[in-house]
Amino acid sequence: MNECLLCDSTIASTPTWKALLGLDDTTIICQDCSKKFVHAEIRNDTDELLDQVTSLYSYNEAMRDYLHQFKFLQDIALAGIFAHELHAQLKGNAIICPIPMHPHKKIMRTFAPVDELLTSARIPFTHLLEKTGTESMGEKTKDQRLVMNPLFALKPGTMIQPTTYRLVDDIYTTGTTLRHAATVLKQAGAKRVEAVTLIRA
Amino acid sequence: MQNPFDPAIRDFLTGRIWLRLHTPFSIETIDEHIEAGHIQTIPGIISTKSLTRQTNHFCNRCENTTPSRFTTFNCAKCKGPCTYCRHCLKMGRVSTCTELIVWNGEPPTYPTTHSLAWLGTLTPRQQQASNELTTSNQTNIPHLIHAVCGSGKTEILFEPIHKLLTAGKRVCIAAPRVDVILELEPRLRAAFPQTAVEALYGGSESTTASPQLILATTHQLYRFRHAFDAIFVDEADAFPYTAEETLQRAVRKAAKPQAPVHFVTATPSDKLLAHMKKIGHISTINRRYHGHPLPVPRYDALWNYTKRIQKGKLPKKLTEWTQARLDKNEPFLIFFHTIKLMEQAEPLFRQLNPKIAAVHAAHPDRKQHVQALRDKKIPGLLTTTILERGITIPNVQVAVVGAEQLIFNKGALVQIGGRVGRSAHYPTGDFVLFHHGITYAMDEAKNEIIQLNKGGVPT
Ligand SMILES: [Zn+2]
Ligand SMILES: [Zn+2]
Ligand SMILES: [Zn+2]
Repeated sequence: MNECLLCDSTIASTPTWKALLGLDDTTIICQDCSKKFVHAEIRNDTDELLDQVTSLYSYNEAMRDYLHQFKFLQDIALAGIFAHELHAQLKGNAIICPIPMHPHKKIMRTFAPVDELLTSARIPFTHLLEKTGTESMGEKTKDQRLVMNPLFALKPGTMIQPTTYRLVDDIYTTGTTLRHAATVLKQAGAKRVEAVTLIRA
Repeated sequence: MQNPFDPAIRDFLTGRIWLRLHTPFSIETIDEHIEAGHIQTIPGIISTKSLTRQTNHFCNRCENTTPSRFTTFNCAKCKGPCTYCRHCLKMGRVSTCTELIVWNGEPPTYPTTHSLAWLGTLTPRQQQASNELTTSNQTNIPHLIHAVCGSGKTEILFEPIHKLLTAGKRVCIAAPRVDVILELEPRLRAAFPQTAVEALYGGSESTTASPQLILATTHQLYRFRHAFDAIFVDEADAFPYTAEETLQRAVRKAAKPQAPVHFVTATPSDKLLAHMKKIGHISTINRRYHGHPLPVPRYDALWNYTKRIQKGKLPKKLTEWTQARLDKNEPFLIFFHTIKLMEQAEPLFRQLNPKIAAVHAAHPDRKQHVQALRDKKIPGLLTTTILERGITIPNVQVAVVGAEQLIFNKGALVQIGGRVGRSAHYPTGDFVLFHHGITYAMDEAKNEIIQLNKGGVPT
């Protein structure tokens, strides 16, 4: 017997071979809760910086509550809710690079949400970038953001290959964050930079 | 303990168990009090390895021990495996590297001057129960007030609470549901005008005061520890079923070690009755304060109501019942077993009267809707079982749609019927169970009401 991670209701689980072998971990939220998330599957127009952007879900009330519980209330157990979709979307040969958090902020929150999403999805990743400042995007106007100093720098000692890199972030709002990250990778020699986000605002 | 301390911190922390980093005071001030020994720190989670090499966790705030309600992760703060409690997460996460704090210095003294401003008189039976409760308080014995809906349970508590307060004791009335707290708050404030009273529930304003009389949802008691000289648990049987054990542990923890935990309810579970017979005292009141009998439910078949409503048609009997209430200007409550069915029925009822509204647990305007019904601004409400207890509306008429559903057990049906005929001006009213088949629970509820009306004591 399982309880839904979001609403605590009991999930009627029908034992399957997969479940018995421990291969099936999809039943961590109930049907009612999972229906409240709406798929986005938006593929953005590409440009010189981002060769492809894919978002899995659109931002709605259920997603707002999810982010609140996962990031603000620090309920790391929720990282696994989208593990299957993220795994399906991210498996392959591209090098997975999560958007990094400022180290101080990570210690305050005790975890990096994007890293936890990837770990739950069993997707290996490498941190190639580091955050240069702590300014929050929300406080800046769009113009200010564009003229702002780079948000990211290459981690010291990192080598970028002429191959495909995939950036991962939790939410795509204006695309500024991802473009800043893509710029650094492209300038360092990446051939192709794609991006996958869980949510499209 | 020679060092001076801030009395505001003492008053706030006495009896509470709080997150070190999230008090209403500055972190530096709290640090100083810890250093001086006025405040004690306690680790958030205790993890122990059992003989079978399995790790057991214990949350020091809510006392949860259920393994599935803990999650272990790699913590960036304490640089290692860290476990947090999901059970009390909504009050701010408690993990292995979280510190909780409790007051360790001299306790405050509470005022002993309190007036009891309630002007009503108790019936002889109420008075007897009230006296019995006071005796139990004097000897620290748990007490169950088993009183039928509308028998004036709250008034029975006034004198015993007043006696505790004037002895400088700290008192808590706890209820599992916020609706009950919201209904009690104005009545207790009016009854004890000199007393510092605070109502605590999810979303209530938090203050730094140290009230002597606290009304709280049982969830809020997770944040108290050895605080109260007596706790009265109102509507004890309304504990959310799955969380029952942890919540009861939280109530016990909030009371001082020797302090009694009393129960007040119209529908005690068999377990509670047996338990109280063994360790405490029971006072039973089977008459309403106005002396009229409890309304006995009548059955009326409403075959295939789900299908009819899904097809966009209200069953004829339901339409007629509602129309009769509208014609006679009688306020009404119609209970449904699921939100889904209720929401499907809502537009159909609106065709009878556009002001009919619906409420359920997650509804933000629940309070306002109930008040609107009381003020006769709306003719009636559709509701889930959330309104089964704690609300009083003069002359309200009650229907249950789908009384055969599992959620309508004996206790729920007795509580729902208890909404009817509470006021002395309107001591009767219709209580109809629309059903798709009669259940054992329906008969049990009906028999219990008939027994109580005959003056019997249910066992
Ligand atoms: Zn759920
Ligand atoms: Zn806990
Ligand atoms: Zn930690």
